[in-house]
Amino acid sequence: MTTTDGGFAGKVLRVDLSTGKISTQDTREKYGAVLGGTGLGYQVLWEEVPAGTNAFDPGNKIVFATGVLAGTGVPCNGRTAVTCLFPTCWPKHLVGSGHMGGNFAAKLKYAGYDALIVEGKADRPVWIFIRDNRVELRDASRLWGSGIRRANLEISQEMGADCSVAAIGQAGEKLAPMAIVSNSLSHSAGGVGGVMGSKNLKAIGVQGSGAVRIAGDKGQWEQLIKFHLSILGGNNQHVVPSFPTPQSEYYNPGSRWVGEPGKRWGAADPPVEITGNIFDLNRIAYRTNTAAFFLGDGAWKHTVRGNGCTACPIRCHTVLSVPAVEAKYGIKKSAQNTCAGLFFGRTFFKSMPGGFKGPESLEACMVGMHLADDLGVWCNYGQLQRDFLKLQREGLLKAKLGAKEYNSIAWDKFEAADPAFLFDILPRIGERRGELGHVLSQGTAGLFSQWGISEEYWSRDHNAVYWKMGHPKHHANEDDGQCGVIINTQYNRDSQCHSHSNFVRNGLPLAVQKKLAAETWGSPDAVDAVGDYTPMNVHKARRARWSLVRKELHDCLGLCNWMGPWVASPLKERGYRGDDSLESRFYSLATGQKVDREGLDLMGERIFTLHRALTMRDMGEPDMRARHDTVPPWVFEDLSGAAPFTKGTIRMDRADIALAMDLFYEVMGWDKATGAPTKEAYARLGLSDVGKTLAESNLVPGSKA
Amino acid sequence: MTPEETTVLAEAAVEAVREASRQGRLVTSQDVLAALEADGTFLAPVGLESKEQPPLAEDLCALLAGILAESQEIASFESLSGGRTLYHAPALLSRTYARILDRKGFPLQLMVEEIRSNSRDYPRPVPVELFEAPPFDLTPEEIEHALKALAASPDHQDITFTTAPTGALYLFSTLHLERGYATFLAQRAESLVMNP
Ligand code: SF4
Repeated sequence: MTTTDGGFAGKVLRVDLSTGKISTQDTREKYGAVLGGTGLGYQVLWEEVPAGTNAFDPGNKIVFATGVLAGTGVPCNGRTAVTCLFPTCWPKHLVGSGHMGGNFAAKLKYAGYDALIVEGKADRPVWIFIRDNRVELRDASRLWGSGIRRANLEISQEMGADCSVAAIGQAGEKLAPMAIVSNSLSHSAGGVGGVMGSKNLKAIGVQGSGAVRIAGDKGQWEQLIKFHLSILGGNNQHVVPSFPTPQSEYYNPGSRWVGEPGKRWGAADPPVEITGNIFDLNRIAYRTNTAAFFLGDGAWKHTVRGNGCTACPIRCHTVLSVPAVEAKYGIKKSAQNTCAGLFFGRTFFKSMPGGFKGPESLEACMVGMHLADDLGVWCNYGQLQRDFLKLQREGLLKAKLGAKEYNSIAWDKFEAADPAFLFDILPRIGERRGELGHVLSQGTAGLFSQWGISEEYWSRDHNAVYWKMGHPKHHANEDDGQCGVIINTQYNRDSQCHSHSNFVRNGLPLAVQKKLAAETWGSPDAVDAVGDYTPMNVHKARRARWSLVRKELHDCLGLCNWMGPWVASPLKERGYRGDDSLESRFYSLATGQKVDREGLDLMGERIFTLHRALTMRDMGEPDMRARHDTVPPWVFEDLSGAAPFTKGTIRMDRADIALAMDLFYEVMGWDKATGAPTKEAYARLGLSDVGKTLAESNLVPGSKA
Repeated sequence: MTPEETTVLAEAAVEAVREASRQGRLVTSQDVLAALEADGTFLAPVGLESKEQPPLAEDLCALLAGILAESQEIASFESLSGGRTLYHAPALLSRTYARILDRKGFPLQLMVEEIRSNSRDYPRPVPVELFEAPPFDLTPEEIEHALKALAASPDHQDITFTTAPTGALYLFSTLHLERGYATFLAQRAESLVMNP
């Protein structure tokens, strides 16, 4: 591999599937200003994919981009941003990205590449073979029609055990917008599988013999890694355990830090009992058991271990072994995943006999993972299941499907909450069978475009929690009042931002959170107690800006925004402070390019603003405030009639949210009336050319002649 | 004692508390005295063996109490059972945990204090199962008994409960949380497993 100053692998690999041409570019020279990850993806789309392109056109490009810290020893790295025009975005395909962890990013860097840009369309099914400088298109005909697991296995056998394979399943092949690409069994990026399918690209296998060079002092680098480890909590940076401990003054029964001495990974061979001090750095991997958190204490006895991304000690993908499902459903007894992927199966049901933490729920989750992770079906952060339940509850499925198809669905199993129902419903969606499969595989967009259901109607439902543009809320007002609302207005899919929610859910008492908020965002009023929201203020707007900028930074550096940023920590001796400059300190040491916190945040802001510009260009829309940054009606309503700002409601006030958007646009340096970045904002961020291009289309405030 | 001897004694006393905290134990000044006598560090380094009349244990305990009160590293509080000052090193055994240890054996007080402090500080109601898990380790019968006693006790009328839609019972104190807000927080706590 090429050596560089450090951090970057050095090259971006480009594969044109139409012509078979394989080429490389210098990363720093071409993409250094946008760091990597989503930034690199946005730049490619800005420069190379014209407005009006459909996600499934050969003209759409799909960019697998890692970042400077991927493949290093920095905790919680290993993320790959997969950016393209996003097929679940409604009513028009706009820029979006999915994010996968696992070890794909590290392998790509060890092979010498910071990113892989795939363009065009192959004339037959292919997969991309990458082994250092050797890059080939290989025939995937024999794999076409198979699930992700088989594709992964066969390619691994061909390449050797040390490769990483990112593959699509039948859903992607059939151009389902609701399709994933996945590596390392469960590390998936949603919504982009169909784009690969549209290019006849089944998989990418990558193997690298190089390493990532660190430019800075080795001692300082190792010290910083050790420090970073010391300020880690459990998953989602929950910095207090769910139980009282001698080491901490605080605990939180809602914390994802559920591992404590005495708990056992009961299905490990032999079983592993957690012993010692759970605060020790070599005990971090015992803190998180995502299955125990989401599926209940009963999951401990089925736990084999945690699986995770490169260099991440959190290991939030819990590996489960449930022998009963082998005999009952004829599936493998083991499966692994995290969060929404872990409980994919149970959420297709109205309720489960033993509750969502009972044994039936666990079995449904095992069946769900078995099917969805192989077919490659995406849940759109649970919206697929919420849509399905709402359609069924309201008789819309009966009304929309022909009687024959409706009656062919195993409703008896659905009503009985029998996990076997998933063998009926999931292949319909993954293989796009029948009207139901065809529509649901398009996501919520399918309901609007195929069945004429109005978006306005859908966005009134408090259970469906649909937000806009085909996607749901993602840590909005239910977690973080106005800050959550602002964040949820900004993307073309669900916001996937955790910078804010990781902080408000960190488990520290309100007074400590307020102290940290004052230090980080200038005022204790930057944060409220959940459900006890106070009127909008500028500090909240600053925190929203910070959250979004850090999310983009993480997505560009190869870090996990499900863990960062790290402004809080479990360390009593630090007053539970984390370190808000960690990312810039790592970046500086890795690249040898000294950048402080403000400097790196500016780069993050540039990338976030490029996303905004790209969205505006492709929408052709100057008034983002009215047409893009919208908030669904359910946010402004409380079913019990509670008024905004009363304790115990997440209801927001319309005038206050209007003020929130005013203040947010103001701190971003955007035009308040339209929410569009101004000429000055583009110039400040080194994006004058972007601003100029948009001005030609009257998309910059005041640019009209 | 010379200033040097006092320093040595202070360090030994603090270390005895630290060691107990490391082991998850709270100690009284008598316990500290016993520890120092047991390992011989009490008499030898401070030259008390040369005294004609051995000092009374109470005097020695008072001396140690004075020393521990001076230490920035050591915290103390009056035990719930009364009449005893308990010492711990908060860096090794947190204040919260120390109070839980002290209340073990007194289920009612254990629950009341935990419910009130959670309602006041975080703020949040707590699920009743919390008390079955370590370090509380109460049996369902003990919890039930304590809840009944609380309902009948005029001093604890602030302790009440709310039931989440999942059926889970959450306890809170009306001194610090309004019922409506506690109900909201309980519902939210239960919803976290569906809101990743
Ligand atoms: S927290 Fe989970 S998703 Fe994030 S880097 Fe670690 S293992 Fe990967």
